[in-house]
Amino acid sequence: MSPLLLILIPLLSAVSVAFAPRGVAFRVATISTLVTLAVSLIIASDFGHWYDDGFGLVTELSWLPSIGASFDMHADAPAMWLVLLSTVLMPVCVIGSKTAIKERVREYYAWLLVLEAAMLGVFLAKNLLFFYVAFEFTLVPMYFLIAGWGGSNRASASIKFFLYTFTGSMLTLAGLAYVAWRFADASGGWSFDIPALTAFASVDLSATEQFWVMMAMLAGFAVKVPLFPVHTWLPLAHTEAPTAGSVVLAGVLLKLGTYGLFRFVLPMTPVGVVEAVPAIGALATIGVVYGALICWVQEDVKKLVAYSSVSHLGFCVLGLFALNPSGLQGSILYMINHGLSTGALFLLIGMVYERYHTRDMNRLGGLVANMPIWSAFMVFFVLSSLAVPGLNGFVSEFLCLIGAFSATPDNAQWPGLLGPWYAVFAGTGMILAAMYLLYLTGRLVWGPYRAPPADKNSGLPTDLSSREIGLLLPLALMCVWLGVQPSGLMRTLEPSVERTLAAYPELVPTQVESMAVLEEVNGG
Amino acid sequence: MIGSHLLSVLLAAGDTAHASDHGHHSAHFPVALPTEGLGYAGLVLALPLIAMILNGVYAISGVRSKLPAWTTVACLGTAFAVVLNLYLKADIEHPVVVPLFEWINLSWGTGAISAPFGLYLDSLTLLWMLFVTGLGTLIALYASEYMESDVGPAYCRFFGGVSIFLLAMGCLVMGDNLLTLYLGWEGVGFASYMLIGYHFTKPSAVAAAKKAFIVNRIGDLGLALGIYLTWLHFGTLEYSKLFEMLQADGAMAAAQQAMAGGWEVAIIPFLLMAGAFGKSAQLPFYIWLPDAMEGPTPVSALIHAATMVTAGVYLLVRTFPMLELHPAAAPTVAWVGGATALLAATIGMAQYDIKRVMAYSTVSQLGYMFMGVGVLSTFGAAAHVFTHAFFKAVLFLTCGAIMHGFAGQLDLRVLRGLRHVKGWRIVVWTMFYASLCLAGFPIISSGYWSKDVILAEAFANGRPILGGIGLLTAGLTAYYTFRVWFRVCCGPKPDDHDLAKMMGDDHHGDDHHDEGHGEEDHHHHMPHAPKWAVNLVLSVISLAAIGSILLVPEHGWLEHMVAKSSGAGGVGANHHDLPADAGFWADPHGWMKYVASTVGLLGMAVAAWLHLFNRSAADRLRATLLASPLKAVVRAMENKWYVDELYNALIRMPLKIKGHALHMLDRYVLDILVVDGLGRLPKMIGRTLSPLQNGVLQSYAASMAGGVILIALLILVLPMLLDLLGGAA
Repeated sequence: MSPLLLILIPLLSAVSVAFAPRGVAFRVATISTLVTLAVSLIIASDFGHWYDDGFGLVTELSWLPSIGASFDMHADAPAMWLVLLSTVLMPVCVIGSKTAIKERVREYYAWLLVLEAAMLGVFLAKNLLFFYVAFEFTLVPMYFLIAGWGGSNRASASIKFFLYTFTGSMLTLAGLAYVAWRFADASGGWSFDIPALTAFASVDLSATEQFWVMMAMLAGFAVKVPLFPVHTWLPLAHTEAPTAGSVVLAGVLLKLGTYGLFRFVLPMTPVGVVEAVPAIGALATIGVVYGALICWVQEDVKKLVAYSSVSHLGFCVLGLFALNPSGLQGSILYMINHGLSTGALFLLIGMVYERYHTRDMNRLGGLVANMPIWSAFMVFFVLSSLAVPGLNGFVSEFLCLIGAFSATPDNAQWPGLLGPWYAVFAGTGMILAAMYLLYLTGRLVWGPYRAPPADKNSGLPTDLSSREIGLLLPLALMCVWLGVQPSGLMRTLEPSVERTLAAYPELVPTQVESMAVLEEVNGG
Repeated sequence: MIGSHLLSVLLAAGDTAHASDHGHHSAHFPVALPTEGLGYAGLVLALPLIAMILNGVYAISGVRSKLPAWTTVACLGTAFAVVLNLYLKADIEHPVVVPLFEWINLSWGTGAISAPFGLYLDSLTLLWMLFVTGLGTLIALYASEYMESDVGPAYCRFFGGVSIFLLAMGCLVMGDNLLTLYLGWEGVGFASYMLIGYHFTKPSAVAAAKKAFIVNRIGDLGLALGIYLTWLHFGTLEYSKLFEMLQADGAMAAAQQAMAGGWEVAIIPFLLMAGAFGKSAQLPFYIWLPDAMEGPTPVSALIHAATMVTAGVYLLVRTFPMLELHPAAAPTVAWVGGATALLAATIGMAQYDIKRVMAYSTVSQLGYMFMGVGVLSTFGAAAHVFTHAFFKAVLFLTCGAIMHGFAGQLDLRVLRGLRHVKGWRIVVWTMFYASLCLAGFPIISSGYWSKDVILAEAFANGRPILGGIGLLTAGLTAYYTFRVWFRVCCGPKPDDHDLAKMMGDDHHGDDHHDEGHGEEDHHHHMPHAPKWAVNLVLSVISLAAIGSILLVPEHGWLEHMVAKSSGAGGVGANHHDLPADAGFWADPHGWMKYVASTVGLLGMAVAAWLHLFNRSAADRLRATLLASPLKAVVRAMENKWYVDELYNALIRMPLKIKGHALHMLDRYVLDILVVDGLGRLPKMIGRTLSPLQNGVLQSYAASMAGGVILIALLILVLPMLLDLLGGAA
């Protein structure tokens, strides 16, 4: 089955939802996302490249051949997993919005579907222009989702979200455009083929060029991740977005940043990366602790979970820049796990919000008395988020940390530029995560019952409805599955990871030497 | 095969086909030692898992009977039978690895992280599992009666929690690698969290649950880092391979490993220790355990006295060969244990809540166990774990019976004369026997045998000061133990009026259920004696405590079990051949019996004087002390040496302030000042350039246009710039 369907189905359904009668919008959107999920599962089943380092699903479709623009698609195992994550989360978002969204239903679902198409485009693009268009295009539906269906402060949140990430990605565009320009200059013809550009850039760009290209790409991707200190758009956007928006934002959109780092920054500009690793590692580590401490003093549940993403994604970035397979594999698994558990947490909070119309922990508490099923799910996903072994979060956090830990220059096989101290400081995030997540659970789930009168018009039962349970249960099962049987998934990541890291075992020692020389010069 | 790829990935079944191209995958699965038909060992984990799932099903389907309790008791009882069967069948001379399934198995090039989910069956595992599953079954039976006022969803939740605990404890003890141990380690932490917070409407219970989990997580970070370093240096986390490396030439090998690895290896035992001190409530982490008494008493008995808190001792005995990686490691364990033992005993002396006394006594006794490990007597440590599990379970369960019967009354200043009340005979006398054990009464008490080994080994190990602290603590222990028993069980016979006045104000389960009021009303006025389940369990565990006397003496069954395990290095390490004419004092193993007995009896005598024969003397003594310069010490002991307050002031508050400060920084400096400031820049430029436009949209459009122009310029200028820079370099 052609991967093109993955983009065409949501896109065409978006159009039909927009023009369909109001009453069927929800149904069309649900069916569309479920069909997309089914198609992605079929494609994944036929995907022949789970265990090798090749790209599968290659589809060619020209767009503007004169300048080398095309809708070519491909995917390797990490991209495939992220596609699956997106197609799994989308039906959850759509079905989860059934009772929450009552105004301008058609526009709402149309934008959600456009968003899905754009996200899948990012993961599947083989052509740089296609990638960039898709990457930027995720902003538009998200902007409208926040601005149109968000909370009380939605206007400024949506504008900040848009401008912040847009500015960042303009710089990314500059970097990528420079690579394409140099490629055209060197080979005499324009091409935006990502594998070709990657191969070209990693070898033919000088160290200085690589460094600046990397900085430019980092500007966009780091904002998306978000990496400390360019994360300030996130709490606001998360808090103000409608539930489904938060789920997609945390579940997939943040992963566009880490995916960009994995797909472009690491393989394209290795020489630049080795120079920046200690600084990025430090920012990631600070992000872990900083985000966690801020979480701990929040009164707004949604803001707490939003800041927890800043903390969690710090682990993810740390794993990427460990420059060893355990770090990278852990990091990619982290992307999936964070999508599942934080997505579920936002969903759970949305369910409470729909009933009580507050996110203030001073007004909500002891909900287990009224909502035992909700509470069971809440505790479950908190555990998953806490990286308790046996659930999904553990394996990825463990691998990211052990990756950073072992990334010392004297590591024989995979020398790196981080080391134990990064892991130790980021590791305190484990303790801080327990502090803020149990603070959240202690306030919201346990304790004496307190809540404003439930909304009679929500049409929802006191505890979860079977629709809501149906949304959470599959996510919970996936969390258990990835916690108990991660090896199958992890093994599929090995080849791509090793390909991505190919240049580093030789580059890192050179960098260490030149740093030593520099120190000597400065010292002398 | 079309369509099956994803499925094979999810099931990790692609491995078979895949292993042929990447041969290294299969090589890391444990070298399958002959399992000798012990594959059914997985049942020990499967049975609690089944109980847990069934309890969940009961909760959802609204079961309102004692079915959850019977299911749990049946599953755990069967698990005990399986363990017993394993013990009888297994050849304890040779550890056996039973692979269950593949959990984490990653490899690249020559490196690999492998944590297959397998069971490591050796004498130490079996020893621990025997008392864990045995006590688990009995205490679940006890709880079937104790928790009966909560029948309904809460009852399911309780037994679900107990099942999770047994499952996790099984992983911890039976896992064949450090990562599976860590899985169980965090798992028991979660079970403990759920059960401490069982009365979730009580803010104190919620806070205690949170505190337990967080304090444990601090230790867990140490354990995790220890595991990373172990993997980095030894390349494996599997016990069988680790021990092979460490014990190739005995202690020498370990010492050489340490020399070769530098500080990164030498620090491993200290990191593992941090984990152990957290889970086993030692200094500086012990503060969570007394608060954990918020949980229902069966939980305190099972998790916070008999089993979970001994996990730290298990860890150190299991990884005992690694203690040799640094010469200061074992002494550190010993001193932390000794200091904790003394500190907790001094606090225990000054508490009035009998359950708190028992909690501090648990901390103190765990201190002895660590002292045992530290003075290189894994046998002493394991023996004390074993005897303590039974007698301390009895003490907690009797406290629970009293608390249950007297509507939550635990104050030893209020309770008295239980000996004379009808229906309490078994409680009173099992408590008496367990108190003898805790006090170390000579010969007939099990605690005497195990504690003496540790104290004697401390002297034999050349640590007389530590041994002295241990002896002093033994005296204090005997005093506070009998202070409780004399106060609660002895004294003048209370009449009905007195008994009614003793009643506490706790209404079992009334928070959750309104039914069954007829009986409850009766409860509120008069104490009710325990029924068959409680009495049966108390009798059986007391008999087990008596029985353990036969197992723990030197050269007995237990020493044999430890000697065949990874803790072998700590059996007989301090024994030296003494000349035949050596005096009485030359061998601590000889004289300790007399000295420790004397100290214990002395403590009991003081308790008898102050709390049995001359009760008013205790109050007078307290008044005298409070008037003397020792006032501060007494107050400090009563207030737990202000350790909680100290931690709060030194750690929690500063962190909280940092959190608030960073939040302010994030909002006002980073976001509003920097980001919004930068955002306004193009707007201002736009305004100066075109004063007619002042709408929001226009300014943003302007800013975007400005941005695009800037980028375009950059793209044009950057190459030139880079050329320049390149030329310069």
